[in-house]
Amino acid sequence: MNENFLSRHRQLLIVWALLLTVPFWLPMLGGYTALAGRVVVFALAAMSFNLLLGFTGIMSFGHAAYFGLGAYGCGLFMKFVTASTLLGVLAGTLVGGIAGTLFGLLLVRRRGVYFAMVTIAFGQVCFYIAYKWDEFTGGYDGLRGFARAPIDFGIFKLDIAASNNAFYYFVVAIFGLAVGLQALILKSPFGRTMLAIRENERRARFLGIPIEKHIWLAFSISCFFTALAGSLYALLNNFADPLGLNYIMSGNIVMITVMGGMRTFWGPLVGAVLFVALQDYVSSMTTNWMFFVGLTFVAVVLFFPRGLMGMLQKRAGT
Amino acid sequence: MSQLIGTGHTRRRGLLQATAAIGGLQLASPFIIKARGETPVKIGFIDPITGSLSALAVTEVESAKWTVEQMNKNGGILGRPVELLIEDSANDTGTGVQKAHKLIERDNVDMILGDVNSGIAYAIMGVTAEKRVFHIVPGGHTDPITGKDCKWNTFRTCNTTAMDAAAMTKTLVSKFGKKWFFVTPDYAYGQTLQANFVRNLEALGGTWQGDMLPIANSDFSATLIKAKGYKPDVLLNLMGGSAQINCMKQFIQFGLNKQMALGGALYEIESVRSVPKEAQSGWFAMEWYWNQPSVPAVKKFVDAISPVLGGKMPTARHWMAYVSLHAARLAAEKAKSLDAVKMAHALEDLELPPEVSLMPGKVRYRAGDHQLMSDIYVGEMHPPGPGGADDLFTIGQTVTGEDAAGPAEATGCKIAWPA
Repeated sequence: MNENFLSRHRQLLIVWALLLTVPFWLPMLGGYTALAGRVVVFALAAMSFNLLLGFTGIMSFGHAAYFGLGAYGCGLFMKFVTASTLLGVLAGTLVGGIAGTLFGLLLVRRRGVYFAMVTIAFGQVCFYIAYKWDEFTGGYDGLRGFARAPIDFGIFKLDIAASNNAFYYFVVAIFGLAVGLQALILKSPFGRTMLAIRENERRARFLGIPIEKHIWLAFSISCFFTALAGSLYALLNNFADPLGLNYIMSGNIVMITVMGGMRTFWGPLVGAVLFVALQDYVSSMTTNWMFFVGLTFVAVVLFFPRGLMGMLQKRAGT
Repeated sequence: MSQLIGTGHTRRRGLLQATAAIGGLQLASPFIIKARGETPVKIGFIDPITGSLSALAVTEVESAKWTVEQMNKNGGILGRPVELLIEDSANDTGTGVQKAHKLIERDNVDMILGDVNSGIAYAIMGVTAEKRVFHIVPGGHTDPITGKDCKWNTFRTCNTTAMDAAAMTKTLVSKFGKKWFFVTPDYAYGQTLQANFVRNLEALGGTWQGDMLPIANSDFSATLIKAKGYKPDVLLNLMGGSAQINCMKQFIQFGLNKQMALGGALYEIESVRSVPKEAQSGWFAMEWYWNQPSVPAVKKFVDAISPVLGGKMPTARHWMAYVSLHAARLAAEKAKSLDAVKMAHALEDLELPPEVSLMPGKVRYRAGDHQLMSDIYVGEMHPPGPGGADDLFTIGQTVTGEDAAGPAEATGCKIAWPA
């Protein structure tokens, strides 16, 4: 027990040491800070999705909807209401989260493939709304006309507009808060109940746990965090586009989670590193880069069904 | 790694070593132009090499590589060699923006070209304006790029939808009549194009009907039956890529070619090559065409590039990349600098010489909106003629860019220069 705690602690230290020193070591590996920002945003989306897939045992194929709604919520708020970055992030998170919460009400009685299919359908509904509503969302060309603005904390000003490093640390700070909160949720009795539902839904039901309510709540929480990632994505690009709502994006989120390891807390972060790095490097070398991304996915699923992180943990455990 | 595909490891290693050596320093001062001596001029080229627009993007990239090769044989830019760094935007905005950051922050490119997809081009414009990097959009058509969303550092080579519509309307009305039927892709490009056509048509007292269809639509039977019932003088096929091809094929299968004329804005050679003979017809606008006997420079260009393309003739997409790269060279040479502000000022209203513009008219990126005032060729598509497999178009009339575009003030563009 004690050892387990220690190794977890070590993992935490390694992850944060690496994340906080990115601007120092990434350029030496031929990377650039904006790439790290993208990794962190996708990691947050995948970790939020993993609350559902890895920890509640529910498969959603439409998480791009909440990711994209977060991006549009943030962008539209900053464009039409006020150009405040923090309020934009809040607005995006609320739009995606509330949409997910309401939609979750319709979902909770579905299971397995039906659940997945209904989530895809909702995702595509959002995609087509963003795609067709030209005057408001910018249609296929995407939403522009907003940009991240410096944040004034009173004592000092964080210029996330001009400095890439400042923006990266802003994203990492929000990521830290979000995943800290996720860890607390997982440690709470509610988190334990989520695991119980994953392990054996029928047994949990017989124990008197209101399954539907818990799944709904887990879905809602997952959507809020995914929408938060989406609003950060809008700030990262200074842009929101309908492809962020598309089922392909949902597929990417699933792929990142599964590659990294869906039963582990940090797995999706590892998956995001792998996915974004592969996409970035291989796509510059060959136009057939998707083949290599797909091949890696197939290899991970075949040889490390618990994902890269799951494999590392297993190796450390034995 | 960004690179010319195929020259892989050496550049990467060199870059790694250099970056490791000056890593810390780079971070402290992220974007300072250093004394460069004989270091190459780096041009980043972002295009959707994979995805539904890949056919057009591949053509642009093919031409860009050839143009840079030729440019290097003739002294490069400002006497320095040119290095082309190609990145795939995968037809995805997020990826396109990421690649723009990569090219600017890591590879320190001097200028950026791209993208075929207007949405990605927009998004990249945000990055290049913020980072003050000179930017040319060779082939993304949506109007606001040089309209209400124009930027001081961005120039566009291909036409706006408004220009294409204006160039075509008079010809279609005078040849066929004022009763039109539209088949239009339902996104910003199609909507603005149709709106421009409708405005011009209604000004001439015409009537119309039409259908807005999904961008990658494949079954046009319902729409074509509707068109048959409406009995228009001309059907305008405004779809793009494979959807346009499918629409053309079904138009022929339904026998509608015997009942109404066919027309539209663009019908790019890449598409015309892949439809049956009967569908190689109708009146369209060509943004550039290889067969222009009145312009000697065109023949020279075609003779030089054609062997590289396996004997095929270059298309408008080849021309777009060629003009964009040479315009960047001319701007740098006039400004005697690679500074984005100086280059942008230099390129404004700079008349391109015929060996660059490859057109009969006076071609320039006008100062008011940074849109290239290129000639537009209105003419008729036909099956391959005596000039070979790519002899598919006969120019009927050449409309000047100024006539088609109208005044720059009307585009809604207000260029704000950095302080």
